[in-house]
Amino acid sequence: MFITFALITLLGATGMLLQKNVIVAGLCMVAAFFGVAGLFVLLANPVAAALQIIVYTGAIMVLVLFVIMMLNSHEEEKAQASRPIQRWVSMALVVALALGSVKLVLASPGLKALGKSGVAMPSAMTLQKVGAALFTDHLLGFEVAGLLLLAAMIGAVALTKRNL
Amino acid sequence: MTGLDAILPILNGGLQGYLVVALLLFALGLATVLLRRTLLLQFMGVELMLNAANVALLAFARFRGGDAQAMVFYLFIIAVAACEAAVGLALVIGLYRHRDTTDSDRAASLKQ
Repeated sequence: MFITFALITLLGATGMLLQKNVIVAGLCMVAAFFGVAGLFVLLANPVAAALQIIVYTGAIMVLVLFVIMMLNSHEEEKAQASRPIQRWVSMALVVALALGSVKLVLASPGLKALGKSGVAMPSAMTLQKVGAALFTDHLLGFEVAGLLLLAAMIGAVALTKRNL
Repeated sequence: MTGLDAILPILNGGLQGYLVVALLLFALGLATVLLRRTLLLQFMGVELMLNAANVALLAFARFRGGDAQAMVFYLFIIAVAACEAAVGLALVIGLYRHRDTTDSDRAASLKQ
């Protein structure tokens, strides 16, 4: 199961990276988000999986697809100047970062110990547990997040409106 | 320890397997931001990197016995990602109105 969802996630992300058409890239990204939701289910966290699907594939990707339709430019534009040096340097940096960090994770004895000690499946995350933690320990953060969402909403309307 | 013994717990969904998936997802998101020029695709790459952080966070939470604090942090990350989506897409639309392009190379100067 794990390998299936991991492959869905990584193939979706790779498709997004390589796809020329913006809409198809967006749909590849939806596949990647579904894979991540499956990984969350395997992590005994159905709440996070439901939120992932509702917020990312339901809200954010629909927003992105609406914007793609509004802009009606579905293909990547021709490059003004091809910048081969920057492209190769960034590709090399990304590959080095990925290989180096994966090597570090596989070599770390602490992670190995944590993986062994925590291998027993915990009871599944429930909304009750999340709510208790959210409204007792993190009430201020919750209120600030609400305020941030309001500010972002007003900002988005102000930015897109022609004559304010 | 042979190589197969080292690989098997990763393929079967051990902690290191989830972290490797998160790191590769982050690298793919970063590659999208660095290599593609369309602003919308770069924006999707940023979302992918935020998702990679979520995978790592919830993997650690599960291997620490189902910690609810990680879930709270995940909610905050989702809230920030939603804000970023709204404002970022509004900026892309604004740029398209002014310059008729969604290419980040063509938006390199702040002057009209």
